[in-house]
Amino acid sequence: MRIEEMNRESEMLYAGHNACPGCGAALSVRFLTRALGSNIAVVLTASCWSIIAGMPPLTALKCPILHCPFPSAGSVGSGVRRGLDAKGKHDTTVVVLAGDGGTFDIGLQALSGAAQRNEDYIFVCYDNEAYMNTGMQTSSATPFGARTNTAPYPLFKEGQKKDIMQIMAAHSIPYAATATVAFPEDLENKLKKAQEIKGFRFIHILSPCPPGWGTESGDTIHLSRLAVSTGFFPLYEIINGVSWKMTCMPEGKRVPLKEYLMGQRRFKQMEDIRVDALQEEVDHDWEMLMEKIGSS
Amino acid sequence: MLPEVTKDELLYSHGNEPSTINKTGEWRFLTPKRSEKLSPCRHGCLLNGEIPAWMEAVKQEKWDEAWQIMSRYNPFPALTGYTCFHPCTEECNRGQLDQVIDIPAMERTVGQWRLDNYRSEVRPQKNTGRVAVVGSGPAGMSCAYYLNEDGYDVTVFEREKVTGGMFALGIPEYRLPRRVLKRELSLLEDRGIKFTTGCNIGSDIPLAELYADFDQVFLSTGAWKPRLSGIKGEKSRGVWNALEFLSRINKGEQVEVADPVIVIGGGNAAVDSARSALRLKGVNHVSLIYRRSRAEMPAGQVEVEAAEHEGVELICNSLPREINTGGQSVSSIIFDHCRTNREGLVVDKSRSFRKSCGTIIMALGQEVDYSLFDTLKKSAVIFAGGDLISGPATVPEAINAGRIAAMAIKARIEGLPAPVLFKNEQIPVGFEELNLEAKLNLQLQNKQEDPSDEASRCLGCGTCNSCGICYLFCPDMAVDPVAGRFELNMDYCKGCGICFKECPSRALVMEGGR
Amino acid sequence: MAFEIMSGSQAAAVAVQRTGVDLVVAYPITPQTAIVETLANFDARGELGGEFVSVESEYAALACCYGAAAAGARVFTATASHGLAYMHEVIHWCSGARVPIVMANVNRTIGAPWCLDPDQGDSLSQRDTGWMQIYCSGAQEVLDTVMQAYLLSEELLLPCMVIFDGFYISHTYEAVDVPDKDTVRAFIGPPAFKAQVKPGSPANLHGLTTGDNQVKLIRNRHEAMLRAPDLFKTINSKFAETFGRSYGVIDSVIPRGAKTVILAAGATAETVRWSLPKLDNTGFIQLRMFRPFPREEICSVLETHGVEKVVVIDRNCSTGMGGIFAQELRSAVYDLKNPPAVQDIILAGGIDLTFEMLESIIKEDKYQGQVEQIWGVDLK
Repeated sequence: MRIEEMNRESEMLYAGHNACPGCGAALSVRFLTRALGSNIAVVLTASCWSIIAGMPPLTALKCPILHCPFPSAGSVGSGVRRGLDAKGKHDTTVVVLAGDGGTFDIGLQALSGAAQRNEDYIFVCYDNEAYMNTGMQTSSATPFGARTNTAPYPLFKEGQKKDIMQIMAAHSIPYAATATVAFPEDLENKLKKAQEIKGFRFIHILSPCPPGWGTESGDTIHLSRLAVSTGFFPLYEIINGVSWKMTCMPEGKRVPLKEYLMGQRRFKQMEDIRVDALQEEVDHDWEMLMEKIGSS
Repeated sequence: MLPEVTKDELLYSHGNEPSTINKTGEWRFLTPKRSEKLSPCRHGCLLNGEIPAWMEAVKQEKWDEAWQIMSRYNPFPALTGYTCFHPCTEECNRGQLDQVIDIPAMERTVGQWRLDNYRSEVRPQKNTGRVAVVGSGPAGMSCAYYLNEDGYDVTVFEREKVTGGMFALGIPEYRLPRRVLKRELSLLEDRGIKFTTGCNIGSDIPLAELYADFDQVFLSTGAWKPRLSGIKGEKSRGVWNALEFLSRINKGEQVEVADPVIVIGGGNAAVDSARSALRLKGVNHVSLIYRRSRAEMPAGQVEVEAAEHEGVELICNSLPREINTGGQSVSSIIFDHCRTNREGLVVDKSRSFRKSCGTIIMALGQEVDYSLFDTLKKSAVIFAGGDLISGPATVPEAINAGRIAAMAIKARIEGLPAPVLFKNEQIPVGFEELNLEAKLNLQLQNKQEDPSDEASRCLGCGTCNSCGICYLFCPDMAVDPVAGRFELNMDYCKGCGICFKECPSRALVMEGGR
Repeated sequence: MAFEIMSGSQAAAVAVQRTGVDLVVAYPITPQTAIVETLANFDARGELGGEFVSVESEYAALACCYGAAAAGARVFTATASHGLAYMHEVIHWCSGARVPIVMANVNRTIGAPWCLDPDQGDSLSQRDTGWMQIYCSGAQEVLDTVMQAYLLSEELLLPCMVIFDGFYISHTYEAVDVPDKDTVRAFIGPPAFKAQVKPGSPANLHGLTTGDNQVKLIRNRHEAMLRAPDLFKTINSKFAETFGRSYGVIDSVIPRGAKTVILAAGATAETVRWSLPKLDNTGFIQLRMFRPFPREEICSVLETHGVEKVVVIDRNCSTGMGGIFAQELRSAVYDLKNPPAVQDIILAGGIDLTFEMLESIIKEDKYQGQVEQIWGVDLK
């Protein structure tokens, strides 16, 4: 990635959008649209990006955006792909953009249906780990132990973060991958790779949210990096549901999870026993992932 | 067949006007700003060169821009690229990550580009004044260059037949290729600088005459008087002083040298003499003998290692006591063991040895010949620089002196106040201050052959070197790439601080307000 | 004329195949399943023309239709009852998005408890969503209406439901005149409405808007829908020329001097039509187009004939209010100089309407006068 060679023309995101300062989701979409190029159609379900996209007559992206009802991202994407094909627009890439709510929770049925049908588009979930657009409520993507506005102290999110990648693997889709904003080259490579594959492709992007996570707006990239280097959010690909490959391995030993948690107010009052439990879970998941990678 | 669809704008909610009319810069309550901190390379540079700035130009292969930046402080990068001992490189923070940036190689590249591509034209004379420069070494060349740049009529007087001073006479060919020096000097002549060689100011032309003929004079005759050891037999046949030896070789003259050769001393001249002697026909064995330890040798380690690699025998902690002759010339020297302690040199005469030799080269350093000053009035205003003033020092210091002298001479002639020299008191940015998490521009880990690739390894400690990380990570499209650089756009910047946090060079600060 | 024996569901499917759609999205629910299965059979024989996809729910089905229609494709799906209720959110979204979609809804009671009988409450509970609604009384009508619905929908850029009773129409077999494909394709033409999603054209489609803007959009679609009756008449006259059959937004048969009129929609309309000769001095209005409500047409007929009483057959009941057709009619006739009395016959739950029931309503004294609501079960 030669930054010196980048220019404004290749960027699809306009300045002047109203994402919060330091928004990971804005960066996620900036990177993925830049990687995919201008011949795309975006299907956008209820999420922070519904607002970031702007209020008509304004728009924040240089491509068509079709807003759709909350649970329907996977289904509307199926429709748009087929509609474009009926009109002969076979080269246009359809990108379905949903938050964690529209992917893990209310949108899970549509996601599963579309994945099972191997619908030919790229489903991108930008995950800020809660219903942020409505003011930081718990979703099934919220990590264990975190505080939200529907699980305020002394309550906390019970239950682990839903493993959406395993769910996608179980559908045997041609391509699934995780990515995050601190590794833009990795993210863009994955999107470019996905663009060349036919069938259902799923990208899960961890997008830190400063107001929701209780972090400094300037820390977004730093946290995103830590999420990877602690093993909390490993960067890998799954091909056809069976072949797992690591794409970005942190150097040296994994950083203790506490370092990642301590910069975020949503984990601030997390009791030690829960921090340990979460560390164990992360360790366990890491081992399982390594096994899958090893045997692929 | 069917009636036309209503072309009503309000059919459904839609829009394609870019959101750029929304100036989100108004949200800010903290503003990122460029702040230049002192980079360690610049801190180490004896010329105060703007290294990160020209390194950035090299990265973008903008050779002319790199030259323009370099030449503000150093008009001879091709020469310094070969001869400076580059303290900048020692301080380079990159060395704490993998390998230091090869600044000398970058300097040579830009210097060579200039030599290859520049057609020097005669500088337009401003008829502001005529200046004489005495001595065509680094200091004199530098002063001449800067005065000429400002439109002055400059004449350089050189007592030798060849110009270049220490460049030409003191530094061997294998350290500074002669074609490079020749070209550099010819570029000076192309600019309209006049060189009068074979003219010894003092004997051929009295110094007072120069002061009468010219508006100002710059004295830069260097330090050529050899320092003597005072030991018995020093004046025997077969004993050379290093500078004389090197001079002769560099002038291409015949030098009678008998095997084996012993060089006494520990500085660059000693090492140069040893390596030069080894290259002479008939010389098979050269020893370099120094009174202190290897670590205490003033010569650059690279040079010492090169000498050893070439086969020079290095003997330390040995002080010469007596030179013996056999027949017409030297045959051997007696050395005593010595070491340094707090009080100074401790000589142990009980541990001594004799070494036979055919030639001895004394490289004990030089001294300044102040006799030139005797001819001047006590109250005269004198401009002088280089080794003449500082004693034996380095090439970059000489060049720097020449530049400062040019500024001072210009001020004097034009009746302006004397220039004030600025010394940057900042503490240079340390390695631990840098934010290397991004590592995106650090993919090229080890020294690269291609200058642009090598320059892209520069971390730009404390200064922006257009790595583009701010542009890459801005969620608000508030950084614009403009001609290879990156400008912050205050119309849209929300002040989130990601650029500040992620800048590997720490070249940004966050200030309160908008 | 080419007659085939087919059920109402099959007729709907045949109409879709003749029309030529780009995409059929399928999800099964009794009693519409035969529609999607018939279309699947067309696809299996390579006769569908467009694509056929089975999705994971009715919600997904309509959402998929929305996406495809937004890209400019002609689409079709079918549902009933619970399925229709499930896609309620998307039903709203489609009309607000102004995409043309034709959907068949086969009436069936919505639980609890489970019940398969044809209550019209499912489609009627979607009456405020901005979709056009046309009720059909037989298989032929279903076939013809589906074809006309595409023209209506693509011109007005409003989605349209074609509705008929479960089992009574969906599962009974009739002789249907099936037009040939080429004639239909020539009549309807390929989808020519503008795609909203145009690659290369940035567009923020259906993004957040303010109330000030929203009211304009609502008004715009309200006024668009009000153009439906006139547009339908234009479509129908050309339809009649091409296929030899003609329909109105309402159809009425009112003998001279009849002061009582029975108004019905769906399968019950057919029962009333057949019963009419045996009911003295009684007229009949078949309510076909329900959204927009054909107020002008109904009022004109009632006024012209000086009708004094309208008996409304409601195969539905809005709990706490009564039959919905009756409610709408009362509202429509309110401003007439001599508004007729409206009597509401509630056949909720899909119970059958018989000639005997009609006779007793018209003839028995106890049902004359100001009796406003009669429950069908009481008539048996």
